[in-house]
Amino acid sequence: MPDAEASIDLTPVDAPPLKRRARRRTIGVLVVLVLAVLALLSQGLLHSLNYFETIDQAMSARAKLGTTTIRLEGVVKPHTIARTSGGASFWMTGGKGEEVFVSAHGSPPQLFQANIPVVVVGHFTSSTSDRFYGTQILVKHTASYIAAHPKRVRAPNGTTR
Amino acid sequence: MKLLSQRLLGPVTLALLGLTFWLGLWVTPPDKAQGNLARLVYVHPAVAWVALYVSFGTATIASALYLWQRTRSMVMDRVAHCAMEVSVVFILLTLITGSIWGRPTWGVWWAWDARLTSTAILGVFALAYLALRRANDDPDLRARRAAVFAILAAINVPIIHFSVQWWKTLHQGATVFTSNRQLLIHGLMAWTLLISFLAFTLLFFWLLRARYRLEVLRSERYDVFVAEALAQRRREGVR
Repeated sequence: MPDAEASIDLTPVDAPPLKRRARRRTIGVLVVLVLAVLALLSQGLLHSLNYFETIDQAMSARAKLGTTTIRLEGVVKPHTIARTSGGASFWMTGGKGEEVFVSAHGSPPQLFQANIPVVVVGHFTSSTSDRFYGTQILVKHTASYIAAHPKRVRAPNGTTR
Repeated sequence: MKLLSQRLLGPVTLALLGLTFWLGLWVTPPDKAQGNLARLVYVHPAVAWVALYVSFGTATIASALYLWQRTRSMVMDRVAHCAMEVSVVFILLTLITGSIWGRPTWGVWWAWDARLTSTAILGVFALAYLALRRANDDPDLRARRAAVFAILAAINVPIIHFSVQWWKTLHQGATVFTSNRQLLIHGLMAWTLLISFLAFTLLFFWLLRARYRLEVLRSERYDVFVAEALAQRRREGVR
């Protein structure tokens, strides 16, 4: 029996062609994934690492910006929202009190309201103007969550929430 | 005999998930600004927590332990592999739930801001890890390469975490782990959020355990297959 076993060739053989093909396919998938990462980096991080300009930044660089399309961030000033047939117009306030009049096209998001931070995609109407023409309004909500109507609902056991 | 903790893991996970959904959908009040949309806070942050820190973290730690000579074993490699597979699922869920939340709140399904893009990149890294494992037949070489890759990919996790502080993003700042450790969520909403974190963390460990057991069975089946093939060749040689 040991002699018979010794005569058996158990040396490793090359992987069959199918396995090599499968490996090539996997390497192809890896290359595609590397390209996907590069595309994501170029699209997302390198072009818009900072997603928007604040009003103060934009106002100080207004001459340089001209009518270039930017994303402008500010807080919607209360009592200034006017719904128009094509969208909405309102005043937006920056951190240092600078104000910009926004005339935006397209329907605003569900959460759009006074005192909420928004990012408007668009451009100033001229390099000296404080009027901003927007093509899209994005709402930038905060990380604070406060109960609506706290303690107004009374449960049968007497507790309120 | 199974440990009691192992036996309880599944039922406790399901119970906590049920509690999260009950509290989140029926008991907690709507948010002042977001209304009922805020109920997604009981799903999305917890899923993201598992995707980024728990599952990717488990994969990274297991990879590091594999690379360290003293703790090197195929168990660590298997844990890293299984955790990364679960991580892919949770990263995908993070992107999907974030998108569902983003559409009514921001007004868009997707924005190329630093938080979203770096999370998507982490998803591609996790897929690349799994593809890398399939590109090599040698178990040791495969485990070593995958471990190094997992550790390199994990560099992206702190980038994702701090992206909302380092850069100006459309995504909100940290919900729970704010820079000043101040929870910005009120009362029952905060408790429900914390329960959701616990529920989804346990769900990860439940899934990881199931996937690990499957991997052990697969490995044992492969060993049996090799032994049977060798025995057959021996029999052919005898004839």
